[in-house]
Amino acid sequence: MSIVTSEGTVGIVLKNVSASPLPAGEIKKYDRLCILVDVSSCIGCRACEAACRQWHDLNPKVPDEKDPFTGYQTFSDLQANYFTLMKFNEVETEKGVEWFITKYQCMHCEDPGCLKACPYPGAIIQYGNGVVDFDHSKCTGCKYCVSGCPFNVPRYDERCKPWKCNFCLDRVLAGLEPACVKTCPTNALSFGTKEEMLRKAGKIVEELKKRGYKNPVIYDPKGVGGTGYIYVLPYGERIEDYGLPKDPSVSLAITLWKGPLKWIGSLALWGTVAGAILHYIVYGPKKMKKINKEEG
Amino acid sequence: MVEVKNLEGLEVERYTTKERIIHWWVGFSFLFLFLSGLGLFSPKFSWILTVLGGKEFVRWLHPIVGIFFMVGIVRMYLSWWRDFKLDSEDRVWLKNIKHYIRGEEEKLPPVGKYNAGQKLYGRVMIYGAVLFLISGIFMWYPLGFPKPIVRIAILVHEMVFIILGPAFIVHVYMSTLAMPGTLRAMITGKVSGLWVLSHHPKWFNEVFKK
Repeated sequence: MSIVTSEGTVGIVLKNVSASPLPAGEIKKYDRLCILVDVSSCIGCRACEAACRQWHDLNPKVPDEKDPFTGYQTFSDLQANYFTLMKFNEVETEKGVEWFITKYQCMHCEDPGCLKACPYPGAIIQYGNGVVDFDHSKCTGCKYCVSGCPFNVPRYDERCKPWKCNFCLDRVLAGLEPACVKTCPTNALSFGTKEEMLRKAGKIVEELKKRGYKNPVIYDPKGVGGTGYIYVLPYGERIEDYGLPKDPSVSLAITLWKGPLKWIGSLALWGTVAGAILHYIVYGPKKMKKINKEEG
Repeated sequence: MVEVKNLEGLEVERYTTKERIIHWWVGFSFLFLFLSGLGLFSPKFSWILTVLGGKEFVRWLHPIVGIFFMVGIVRMYLSWWRDFKLDSEDRVWLKNIKHYIRGEEEKLPPVGKYNAGQKLYGRVMIYGAVLFLISGIFMWYPLGFPKPIVRIAILVHEMVFIILGPAFIVHVYMSTLAMPGTLRAMITGKVSGLWVLSHHPKWFNEVFKK
């Protein structure tokens, strides 16, 4: 999947690598890349899905009558070979029944749960520009990334490797915009630095307020340190109706097992080995009774 | 009571062939699970996965060996659980375990076939194995269960590892380096009479009372 790995970096710095010490700090400041999804101007044409499919050369199986009902969606859910999906949710608002259409893919978290959970060094990489990527050559196939992801994104193929959106890193490094952004006919998707996109999102929110929306918001969840995909949601109080988690964060269980438990475990294992060696040199092997007299 | 002239030459059967086979079945499968688990537990030991046959292969094999281990340890528990019951003397023994560590076994209550430490090890292993199995099933098929449960399962699996791992190291040390003459109990099944009298005097009396 990944076009650059934790070993060979082509003019791109590493921010975070799974199960490894933090790479060298950022002396040079790299802008975080970001895609803004303006839900209010999305018409649900699914061109982004088609572009994604074409660029990554994906060939998902066409659903048949045995598959779950998908309604207007292409599929009911993301798949190992389908990285972005438009979710269509019918919702009642004061304007009557509305479609909440949300683009659904890897969010490229600043604090990625998948990377935190991954036990193998280098299998998940976060680049200086904020893109989170998998390196399949280092993946054991343990599925910890699935448990770690607060957005339920990675999907496993039949060879037990996970797949997801990689922000079209190959395009981005070549100075192009991601395929989905390139194709979007209504400019519901825009691509740039995080700073730029937040500014643009702010303007759209103001615009929506003028149009009569009471509580439009920018979705950039702080629980995961912000995301590389941000959304403008016209109905800010109904985040979950858009199919997005309200307050996602990396689970405490993961923080525990990747933090204190590793320390306690190392201490316990090495402590036991040290204790055994110490016992051997202090007290030595247990002696048997010396018997010269007859026992009776 | 037998008249004892040469205790060292006296052979006492401690483990039957069946017991030994089950012990090594459980022992070697645990060793594999311990090493492969260590490789996944700590990134510093991820090279162990390569040594054992490659990370994907080991990740695939680990749960299968886990089931193999489980079958063995349950069989083992069925034959030994009566021996692992702790009595009041065992509690006294545990309270004064410092004498055992110092090699002053004569200051402790006389030990039967197993001392309290061995009994405790046996029990901790079977309880831990059950927790390993339950949490392991969630980790084996994480897509079939709600995420919060899988996360807790991974946490439990690691906590059990932190308890059983050191216990396993102690077990290996005690039965080899720390107590000469013990390892052969699990290989030939026999120990010397002197070994029994030194470490398990109460069992000595039971064996020779007939």
